Amino acid sequence: MGFSGWGEFTGTSFVVHIPKERIGVLIGQQGRVKKEIEDRLGVQLKIDSGSGTVVINLSKSPHEGGDPAALFKAKDIVTAIARGFSPERAFKLFDEDTILSVVDISEYVGRSANNLVRVRSRLIGTGGKTRRIIEENCHVELSIYGDTVAIIGEYNDVRAAEEAVIALIKGAPHGAVYKMVDEHARRRKTGGLVRPF
Amino acid sequence: MSSAEQQQQRPRFKWGIVHIYSSYNNIIVHLTDLTGAETIARASGGMFVDAGRLEPTPYAGMRAATYVMEKAKEAGINAVHIRVRAPGGVKSRTPGPATQAAIRTIARSGVMIGRIEDVTPLPHDSVRKKGGRRGRRV
Repeated sequence: MGFSGWGEFTGTSFVVHIPKERIGVLIGQQGRVKKEIEDRLGVQLKIDSGSGTVVINLSKSPHEGGDPAALFKAKDIVTAIARGFSPERAFKLFDEDTILSVVDISEYVGRSANNLVRVRSRLIGTGGKTRRIIEENCHVELSIYGDTVAIIGEYNDVRAAEEAVIALIKGAPHGAVYKMVDEHARRRKTGGLVRPF
Repeated sequence: MSSAEQQQQRPRFKWGIVHIYSSYNNIIVHLTDLTGAETIARASGGMFVDAGRLEPTPYAGMRAATYVMEKAKEAGINAVHIRVRAPGGVKSRTPGPATQAAIRTIARSGVMIGRIEDVTPLPHDSVRKKGGRRGRRV
């Protein structure tokens, strides 16, 4: 904790731990991905490739025009890439309204590796069918990686997708979940979910 | 920092802490002094919009933050730390959609911003999530 007392300014940094195999993706060819995140959000990424620790700093302090909300965006994007999204898909988070949500499968199924694999394959479906149906009906991006499911999309869509994913994890039949997301798609179309702002 | 320096800088900044609690259903912006025990101003989403479903929107977040920062100026606070919080625990760990708007409004209101922290309570182990074995049925 430790507040900075009177006067002296200490910058804020966020720390994200990412799996080693995703470090390369976060950096990109010749550092392209890292550079794009830094340029578009006005942040600085310090990546420790030994331990997989990413430290996010604002490149300008808030009273010099840095946007503190960008820190949260940057944290989301780094987490999204760490949770298996390709940079192209993670960059949808640059949008003001899109958010990231991470659902931990192991919270629901315990630690058995067999269970985890079974649930994961239920979420993906034959040839990615289930994943595709959730993605299309809820207008979200879904990434199933390790023992997490990450969802990128607009607020209400992410909530609907989250609900569908959790239902599947808890063992709901696929048909019931398809009906759920179909219902969401219909309400979305008829304008029941459009925010007035 | 020497005490002479402290004396010199004391009048420059009067610090406060802005606690932003942002859930799926509401946002609460709460300004306290540095100890966190004395409330200076508090606003929630429902004070600025009428429909319950609009309470967590960026607009409500912006209005709530504007209101609190006006009160901050009246109280002479010109520097704040920001603590963002989602419901946490067994509930959602991502702050709601109003957070970003609220932070941005605070940044633009002309006060100095010290630290920004995410203080969502994260359990090391926890009780069972609500909703039962068969999940939420709609």
